[in-house]
Amino acid sequence: MTLWKLEVLRLVRTRRIVALLGAYVMFGLLGPLTARYLAEFLDLAGADLAGATIVLPDPVPADGMIQYVSNASQLGTLVAVVVAAGSLAFDAIPEMGVFLRTRVANVAAILAPRLVVVTVATVAAFILGSLTAWYETWVLIGPLPAGPILAGIGFGALFLLFVVALVAAAAGWAKNVLGTVMAAVVILLVMPILGVADSVARWVPTHLSGALAELPGGAAASDFLPATVVTLTATAGLIWLAIAGARRREL
Amino acid sequence: MIQTRGLTKAYGDRKALAEVDLVVPEGSVYGLVGPNGAGKTTLLGILAGLRRSSSGTVKLAVDPTERAVLPDTPRFDPWLTGVEVVSLAKQLTDPDADSGRVEEVLADAGLAEAKQRRVGGYSRGMLQRLGLACTIVGRPRLILLDEPASALDPQGRREVLDLISRLRGSATVLFSSHILGDVQEVCDTVGILDDGRLLFQGPIESLLVGQAVPRFHVRLRADADRVGAALADLDWVADVEQLGDNTLAVAVTSLDVAETNLPGELAATGAAVISFQPEEATLERAFLELTR
Repeated sequence: MTLWKLEVLRLVRTRRIVALLGAYVMFGLLGPLTARYLAEFLDLAGADLAGATIVLPDPVPADGMIQYVSNASQLGTLVAVVVAAGSLAFDAIPEMGVFLRTRVANVAAILAPRLVVVTVATVAAFILGSLTAWYETWVLIGPLPAGPILAGIGFGALFLLFVVALVAAAAGWAKNVLGTVMAAVVILLVMPILGVADSVARWVPTHLSGALAELPGGAAASDFLPATVVTLTATAGLIWLAIAGARRREL
Repeated sequence: MIQTRGLTKAYGDRKALAEVDLVVPEGSVYGLVGPNGAGKTTLLGILAGLRRSSSGTVKLAVDPTERAVLPDTPRFDPWLTGVEVVSLAKQLTDPDADSGRVEEVLADAGLAEAKQRRVGGYSRGMLQRLGLACTIVGRPRLILLDEPASALDPQGRREVLDLISRLRGSATVLFSSHILGDVQEVCDTVGILDDGRLLFQGPIESLLVGQAVPRFHVRLRADADRVGAALADLDWVADVEQLGDNTLAVAVTSLDVAETNLPGELAATGAAVISFQPEEATLERAFLELTR
């Protein structure tokens, strides 16, 4: 038994991996379905629209990914935050923290497997959900080119790496899992607000979460480079902050 | 093995530890005794590297990797099995040891039959024994145990104390407790901590002989009040306490003087004496004398 296997077991035995995969795959299935049949769904609700008429344009393939991303970037990210906090807040139960801390020379040895395993699982779930959405979009609406989709998945994965690092930093300073989740969610909510200003939007890490929706619609990959640079830098800083926070904590 | 100098830990204005000079001899089983809130857990936390001192120094004669710690209420991920928890502890502390070591300590802890069960279903005593198994699996040279037998039922306590006794000779053990009987049974050296101050440390025998006021138990047929009052007036009697059932606990300033004079004084009161014997010196008595 190693700290790496411990984290894999944590994902499997606590069924957190099911929550991650289930959320992203479900959004992958529902997104294109919603885009394709939104007009029909509204027709079914016609009696409740009080005589109003809603005219929707015919769906285009990019709409399938837009619907997927709108769910995955919100609810999917929230699931990822909760799962990551459950793993990264390893001092939340002090006796468990004592067990680990008194058996390693450096607290980074505890953090590294948790960061890597949670990130890999979250990114894998996101990729699986994205591929599901891509396939279903092709079946229901029409094909999308592979290049923009793969680039969008790459940017989305980078955003999730940032999210996990953010949770790790929050866990290093918050006292429990709930505090960790709340701190991370508040920061993630504040970032899009900062991005309301166009000059700032391209630099904010949350900008990357929309890449999978925007690239198939014709946006250029270079639009996401500023946010990529900021996200990579911030992720490194957050990991440093997580280690510093874990080192300074007393149990 | 452990030496601290002027060790102080302050939380704001309150000192959890005040100028503690702890000396734990190598190979000893050292009992750190004190009431709840005395600073035992804080002291162990600093020695374990889990807390920082406000001032003072700590010298350990071992590497951090040769030191093992057991908190008072060990907890583990409930979805792990007992054998997985101990395997993880072994991997982190002594990865080169063969896997038979895990089975060995689980058997020592009496958990051989429960090793494949998830620890979420373990009782409090089983978790404590699992914690001890994790503590010793890496063959540490220094073991820090925080109240390892508190809140256990008598059988669980017995098993944990037996396990600690078996560690003698293979490691230095620092063992905190407020259960004085446990410390007296298991430890050879004792330190008494009260309100963050180390009031005494040394061999347990010297504490019992040097600190505890000698007492005699005198059981009478009747008239305990009258006899007690008469004895209390004597110069060499420090205190007289009624224990009920016409039994007096007579604290004396000197065993020799009491052995010579107490029978005569009792006879002079006309008391009908059923029995008369020195009270066995206990850690509890010494502790109460020191912390009074």
